[in-house]
Amino acid sequence: MLIHHKFTHLALFFALTFASLQTLAEPGAEAGTEQVRASLIASAAAVHPGDEILIGVHQQIIPHWHTYWKNPGDSGLATKIQYQLPPGSSVAEIQWPTPSKIVLGPVVNYGYHDAVTLLSTLRVADDAELGSELPINAKVKWLVCELTCIPQQVELALRLPVVAKGVAVEPGSPLVEAAKASLPADLPWKATLDEDAARLVLRVRGDGLPATQNQAILFYPEQWGPISHGAEQTAKFSENAIELRLKPGDQPLEPGQTLNGVLAIGADGAARGYRVSAVWPGIVKPSASVPVAANLALPTALLLALAGGLVLNLMPCVFPVLSIKALAVLQQAGHHRWQTRLHGWAYAAGILVSFAGLAGLLMALKAGGASIGWGFQFQSPLFVLAVAYVMFAVGLSLSGVFTIGASVAGIGSGLAARSGYSGSFFTGALAAVVATPCTAPFMGAAIGFALSQPALVMLAVFLSLGAGLALPYWLLCHWPALQRRLPKPGLWMEHLKQGLAFPMYAAAAWLIWVLARQAGPAAVAGALGGCVAIGFAAWLYQISRYSSDGRRRLGGASAGLLLALAVGGGYFAVDTPALTSQTSNASDEHWQAYSPDELRRLRAEGKPVFVNLTADWCISCLVNEQVALSRDAVLSAFREAGVVYLKGDWTNRDPAIAGVLAEYGRSGVPLYLYFAPGAQTAAVLPQILTPDIVIDAVKGAAKL
Amino acid sequence: MLSQRLFGFFALSLTLLIHSGAARAEPVVGQPAPTFSGAAAEGGTLNLADLRGKIVILEWTNHECPFVRKHYESGNIPKVQKQAASQGVVWLQVISSGPDKEGYVDAATAKKLNQERGATPANVVFDPSGTIGKLYAATNTPQLFIIDPKGVLLYKGGIDSIPSADQDDIASAENYISSALKELAAGKPISKSVTKPYGCTVKYAG
Repeated sequence: MLIHHKFTHLALFFALTFASLQTLAEPGAEAGTEQVRASLIASAAAVHPGDEILIGVHQQIIPHWHTYWKNPGDSGLATKIQYQLPPGSSVAEIQWPTPSKIVLGPVVNYGYHDAVTLLSTLRVADDAELGSELPINAKVKWLVCELTCIPQQVELALRLPVVAKGVAVEPGSPLVEAAKASLPADLPWKATLDEDAARLVLRVRGDGLPATQNQAILFYPEQWGPISHGAEQTAKFSENAIELRLKPGDQPLEPGQTLNGVLAIGADGAARGYRVSAVWPGIVKPSASVPVAANLALPTALLLALAGGLVLNLMPCVFPVLSIKALAVLQQAGHHRWQTRLHGWAYAAGILVSFAGLAGLLMALKAGGASIGWGFQFQSPLFVLAVAYVMFAVGLSLSGVFTIGASVAGIGSGLAARSGYSGSFFTGALAAVVATPCTAPFMGAAIGFALSQPALVMLAVFLSLGAGLALPYWLLCHWPALQRRLPKPGLWMEHLKQGLAFPMYAAAAWLIWVLARQAGPAAVAGALGGCVAIGFAAWLYQISRYSSDGRRRLGGASAGLLLALAVGGGYFAVDTPALTSQTSNASDEHWQAYSPDELRRLRAEGKPVFVNLTADWCISCLVNEQVALSRDAVLSAFREAGVVYLKGDWTNRDPAIAGVLAEYGRSGVPLYLYFAPGAQTAAVLPQILTPDIVIDAVKGAAKL
Repeated sequence: MLSQRLFGFFALSLTLLIHSGAARAEPVVGQPAPTFSGAAAEGGTLNLADLRGKIVILEWTNHECPFVRKHYESGNIPKVQKQAASQGVVWLQVISSGPDKEGYVDAATAKKLNQERGATPANVVFDPSGTIGKLYAATNTPQLFIIDPKGVLLYKGGIDSIPSADQDDIASAENYISSALKELAAGKPISKSVTKPYGCTVKYAG
C-alpha cells in the first residue's frame, strides 16, 4: 500500500514536471506520443490575404494501433482538432478520409491504421498584415487504441508568412496532396433507400459503376443510430446497380430523414470512397419490436388479399353496388350465357383496372416519399366530396329522376345496365372505389406487406385483392345453376331498383358528415348546395331529353352549367381552411384523445390502456364502436379494470397514427390495441369486435 | 351469423399471423430484458430474474478504461450510484473482460477497487466468457441498461451526452442515468431511452 502510494506520488511529480515543461516550451509543428506522431501541415509555404488553403493534422500511428473516423462506430472517439487563429481567419470542418473497418469480436469500429491526414480549409483574413506571420495553433485530441485505449492530446503550431498578392509561394507539405486522394468523392450515381424484410436497402444505380463483381463493398454511416455497425452488410450486384442491405440500428431513421455516409468500394484500407446521401421514404417504418407484415411470404399475402377482397363484398360500402349488379344479372337472365359471362369479365376487369390504378398511384406516392396508408384517398376532402356527388347522382338515377342513355359509357349506364359491357366495367370500377375505406380483415396485413414491396409484388397483391372483390359476381355470371334459381324479372325489379337508391343517399349523407368533420360547416354547405344543383341538373337533363333539338341542347347546357357550379362551389367550399372542431368535448366522453406521449406516460405508470385507432370514413370502425366499444358492459369492464381508453382519429392525415399503424404492420384503420399493465407488447384485437372480445381481452390480461 | 363467424375466423388468423415470429437477438427498449445469471463479487451466483420487483441498472465496466476512470475518478458514477441506491434501485457492475484481458479482476480486487473509488454498486457480476455482454450486445465501457421491476428494458446507452475522456466535460454534459432516475422517481417515462454509448471497447475473451 505504501509502495503503491509512493509510486502514485512519483508519477504525479513527473506528470506535473512534464506538464510545466510543455507549457513553457512553444509548441512546434510536430508532437508525439508513444503511439502517434502528429504534425500540423499546410498546402502552401506562405499565404496571401484572402487565400483559401488546406491545412491539416497528419497522424503517424504505430503498427496495430488505430485512431477513429468521424463516426467511431460501436466504441471509440473521433479525433478532435481545435484550431486557434487570429481574428478574420477561420478554419472549416474536418474533411474525413475514407475509413477502414476495425473488428474487435462483436464490436465494430471505424478508423485509421498506420497514417491519416485530417484536412480542413483555412481562409486567411483579407486584412492579414503583409510581412507578418499567420499563426496557426491546434489542440488535437484523439483516442488511440489497440486492445487498450489511450486518450491523448497534443498542441501544434505553424507559422505561415503572409505575402502580397501576386507573389509566388512555394507549395507546402506533399502530404496534403496525398491526403486529398484519400477523401471520398461525390457520388456520381443515384442513391436511393427502401426497405425489405426489416433491412434498409441502399441502392446505387448509374452508368459507369466500377466493376464491382469481386470487390468489397461497405457502407460507413456518418452518424450513430440509423445503421447497426456490427451487422453484416450483404451486397448484390447487377449491371449498373449495387444493392446493399443494412440492418437498422438503435435509432432507426424516421420517414424523411437522410442517411449520410461513405460507400467504400474496394479492399479495406485501399477502397475508393463515395459520399452518399439518401432520404428514407419510410412508408412502412422498419419496426424492431413487431415483426409483422414484412415477414409475410408472397403466397400468403396473395391468399390473404384474395380473402380480403371476398370479405369486402359483404362490407356495407360495397354491398349496395353488388346488389345493383346482381339486379342487372336478373335482367340478363334471358340473355345468352356467353353474354352474361362477358359481363362478369367486364365487371372483373373494371375492378382489376381500378386496383391496378390504385397500386400505381400508391407506387407514385411512395416514390415521392409520402407517408400514406390504405384508405388514404378518403383523407382528401375533395375526394370525399367527389364520391358523395357520385353516390347522390347514382341514387337519383336509381330513383328514376334521370336515366342515362346506353350510348353514354358511364357509371350510371353500368348501374342501369340493360346492355353495355362498359357499364359492367364501370360498375366494377365503382365497386373498387367505394370498397377502399372498408379495411376488411386480412387486408391490413396484406396491404402493409404490399406497400413495403417492390412494385411488381405490390401490383400482384392489389390484383389479388381485386380478384377477391370481383369473384362473387363473376361466379354468378358463370354458374348457370345459380342463375336459374334467380327469380323471374318483373315489376318488383323496378321497385327494388328504386329502393336501392336509398343506400346510395345514405352513403352520400355519410360522406357529407365525414366532410363536416374534415373540412367544417362551410364544406357541408357547399356539398349540400352542390347536391341540389346536381338534382336540378339531372331533372333538367331528363325533361329536355326527348324534346326538340334546341330545347335538348338548352337543357343539356343548363345541366352542364349546374354540374360545373356544383363541382366548382364544392371545390371552393372544401378547399377553404376550416375551423376544425376535433378537440370538442372529449373530456365528457369515456375516452381520451390518443397521443404517443400520453400512451407512453400511461404505460410507464403501469396503467392498462386500450387504444382505438379509427377514422370517420371507416365504416367498420364506426360499427365496432356502436356494437362493442360503447356498450355498457364493455365500459364497466374498462372501469373495473381501470383501463384508460385512448382514441386516435385518422380522419385527416396524422403521421403519428400512420406510424403506429405501420408499427403493427397495418396501413389502415381500424386497429385496436390493448396494453395490459406493465406488458411490453400490445394485444392486437380483431378488426371486427364484439363486446365479449373486448371484455375478454381486458379481463384475460388483468389476470396476468 | 355465418358472416360473423367468417369474420371471427379471418380476424383470428390475422392475429395469429401477427404474433408469430417475434424472436429477437438484441435487447430492445420496451421489450423484456434478457435474463442471465453469473458469479457475483458478494459471493454466489446472481440471477437477474431474482431481482424482479426492483429497478435494476446494469453498468458494463473496466476499471482500466480511461473513460471509466473519468467517471469514477471524478466521482460522477459513484454519485449516480448513491442516487440510485437512495431510490431503491439495484446497481450492478458487469465485467465482461476475458481472463488476461484489460479490466479482468477477481472478486476481492473488484471489491477493493470499489472501496478505493468510493463506488457503491449493489453487486459486481463477472462475465469472463462474455455471454452476458453479448446477450446485451454491450460494446462499450461504460455502457448502461435500466430494467424495470417487471423485467422490461427501459434504457440502453451511454452515461452522458458528451463523448470524451476529459473530466472537465462532465459538468456541461447531461447525465442520462441521473435524468432517467429522476424521471422514474417522478413516475414519468424515460424521455431519452436510447442514447449513444461511448468509451472503450468491451474486452471480450478470444
